[in-house]
Amino acid sequence: MVSINYATREVTCKIVYYGPGLSGKTTNLIYVHKKVPATSKGKMISLATEADRTLYFDFLPINIGSINGFAAKFQLYTVPGQVYYNATRKLVLRGADGLVFVADSQAEKMDENIESLTNLQENLEEYGYNIDEMPIVIQYNKRDLPGALSVDELNAKLNPRGWKWFEGEAVNGRGVFDTLKMIIKLVLEKAKNTRTTTSAARSAPASKPAPAQAPVAAQQSAAIGTTAPSGRPTAVETTAAAPGGAMPQREAAYQAEASPQAAEPPLEHNVLPAESVSGPTEPPDAPIQTPAEESMSRPFPGSTGKIPRRERRITVSDFQPASKDEDISALRSRLNDENEKLQQDEGSGMPSPSMAPSERVVKKKRGFFKRLFGVK
Amino acid sequence: MTDDNLVIYEEEIEKIDSILARMLKGAEAKCALLVDKDGHLITRQGFTHSLDTTALAALLAGSFASTKEIARLVGESEFSVLFHQGKKDHIHMSIVGDRSILAVIFDDRTTIGMVRLYAKEGATELAKIFATLKSRNTTEHAGLTDEFAASAGDKLDDIFQD
Repeated sequence: MVSINYATREVTCKIVYYGPGLSGKTTNLIYVHKKVPATSKGKMISLATEADRTLYFDFLPINIGSINGFAAKFQLYTVPGQVYYNATRKLVLRGADGLVFVADSQAEKMDENIESLTNLQENLEEYGYNIDEMPIVIQYNKRDLPGALSVDELNAKLNPRGWKWFEGEAVNGRGVFDTLKMIIKLVLEKAKNTRTTTSAARSAPASKPAPAQAPVAAQQSAAIGTTAPSGRPTAVETTAAAPGGAMPQREAAYQAEASPQAAEPPLEHNVLPAESVSGPTEPPDAPIQTPAEESMSRPFPGSTGKIPRRERRITVSDFQPASKDEDISALRSRLNDENEKLQQDEGSGMPSPSMAPSERVVKKKRGFFKRLFGVK
Repeated sequence: MTDDNLVIYEEEIEKIDSILARMLKGAEAKCALLVDKDGHLITRQGFTHSLDTTALAALLAGSFASTKEIARLVGESEFSVLFHQGKKDHIHMSIVGDRSILAVIFDDRTTIGMVRLYAKEGATELAKIFATLKSRNTTEHAGLTDEFAASAGDKLDDIFQD
């Protein structure tokens, strides 16, 4: 489908070269690429096999320049012609605005031409396109070869719908530009008559106040569209409301996500089999941590609270108070006891690979807790 | 399907761009491209000046299309996320609504997780915009004028000379 972008001022159309294998689709594109001035073309992309057969598609963007303030761009694609590449061939057809059917004029290739044309119709139908409504141009290629059939014969067999046709010798460029010019004209003709997606609200009163940028934009659309300008202000109204109102909330959400630690508990619960370790979900009456405690629960000063699994120890946050009256110092001494016991267990064997921190780490951590809690 | 042209107005692109910019900032990614499934580039944000975005758009759409076929063959309707990992740069692609693809290019300054998170958020917001775009009634002509087609015809002869 034709894409009209008012922001970048571009009209983009997709043209697909279809046809049997080795009929000269890629050669058409190569010729166009060779002859079109560098300012009007982009890089040609070829997804081909090592033997230079098209595997997926060739792609050549052409910019024919600014028309009424809009850059008219055409994207030329070819399909792989070989029968067994139908899966990828069909994909390239998606969203095509116009087709060039490149037929091989040689008598022995007639069956392949017919097969490819049938396949084209099938693939178009699968996308819900009607072959009779699609702009199509036929190029009878390889006219220079001795076995070429006459144009009348080709037309009789391949062109019952009376599409525009051209004789071609893609290798030396004969008919290549004629074909391309014709399909571009047909595509633009079709786009002109195509009903486009515009808001019903756009046809509503144009008297509504327009945002500052609307007049310029409206002028632009007047150049290219017929009725769009009247509707623009309305569309702006409905769409412009969102950013202002919704932004603060969204930004808050982003901020919350950007610092996930803030929302999470300061430390994940210990996996060690200590009876005082609470489950993954704290009961609602879990002890309320004071800011000081929270900072203690972080193993290293300045750390985010996320520590490697191997270094996790039982911490304040893992403790439930034995009773409501149990004060902070009692809690600390219990914590210390637990960690002491833990170290002894580890020291006395029972190596467990998953929880065997190096001696160094344990000592360091012991020192840390000692310093922190002032316990000798 | 071919009876509808895709028309995008400036204010819609501005909204889309602001969503993309916010997403890039949050995910600390390099750039983002929004591509139509037909291979047209809708818009882009971030450091894209060194990229051939037209070709990139066509290839990304092609890549997504072929992945969709692969999905169909293994019994899935489509793979909604696609990730290409490189040595330095990586690409994360996700589907937006039913006809667009959001591609985020990032390097090792961020992580795939962050990109996924923000891309998902962004895609949800973008999908809403595309839903309104789609729900427009097809009651008007906003297509090309006669003049446009005629002017284009004149230009063709200048450019396509043997």
